[in-house]
Amino acid sequence: MTDSAKILTDADLLAAFSGGDRSAALELTQRLTPRVMGQAYRMLGNRAEAEDVAQEAMLRLWKIAPEWDPDRAKVTTWLYRVVANLCTDRLRKSGRGVDIDSIEEPADTAPSVAETLQDTARAQALRTALCDLPERQAEAVTLRHLEDRSNPEIAEIMKTNVRTVESLIARGKRSLIARLAGRKAELGYEDDH
Amino acid sequence: MKMTTDNDEKMLNETFAQMRVADPVPSEDLMNRIMLDADMVLAEGATVPQRPKRGLSAMFRDVIGGWPTFSGLAAATVAGVWIGAAQPAALTDLSTGLWGDTIEVPLLESDLFAALEG
Repeated sequence: MTDSAKILTDADLLAAFSGGDRSAALELTQRLTPRVMGQAYRMLGNRAEAEDVAQEAMLRLWKIAPEWDPDRAKVTTWLYRVVANLCTDRLRKSGRGVDIDSIEEPADTAPSVAETLQDTARAQALRTALCDLPERQAEAVTLRHLEDRSNPEIAEIMKTNVRTVESLIARGKRSLIARLAGRKAELGYEDDH
Repeated sequence: MKMTTDNDEKMLNETFAQMRVADPVPSEDLMNRIMLDADMVLAEGATVPQRPKRGLSAMFRDVIGGWPTFSGLAAATVAGVWIGAAQPAALTDLSTGLWGDTIEVPLLESDLFAALEG
């Protein structure tokens, strides 16, 4: 991949793919799949299912490429909606919500087992607390702090304005802190701070 | 709701960071599957040429049967205009045969009264 290709937007690459450029597809796959996979995994809590959803979402992206209108939406915003819909369909068909207990623990790559377990416990506690938030607050906080989206992009995804997004995130974070406060000792926070 | 402290904020941000790190990395197999799908879509695009967008005039030509029909229609229209404008001599002969003489119908009210008064 050349230096000039690195500064191409997702929409530019999609247009190049539509024109038959395979290297554009490779660049998009490397750029977008980790984010798509992460979102699906957080919603489904299962790696194999998250991979299936990621593959299906990317296939839909390839198919829509010839009709893509860059003025209508960002590629990442469109993909977020596709993944959310695919995950919601799977959850509905299987009659389950997000099953926190089914979320697999990450591979043991941290410096020590104790630290890994603590990190995992903290992440699990935060996932549980997120699930207890009102849906709009949970979505706004997730998009901002886990998906790393900008507030204007979150406003577009949630079909609202930036001020409402800021308010949802602020209220959501206050609720999360309150919910985690009672577990500080258990999660090892008091040793750190 | 009670105010949050900087430590609380820091704790939350660290936990978000841990959750992001915990996201699974896409496997090599998944990346290959996604690229195979891209190749398939590219191949379909190569074998099934896209229909160009067509203008209204092209669609109209197709509906009426193409340029030959279009020129035939044009000729018929010109002929119709000529027939309407030309004096139909055959039709004049027919009306004279039916009524005997030419009938004059006054167009203005004053002409009608003048005719009645003799």
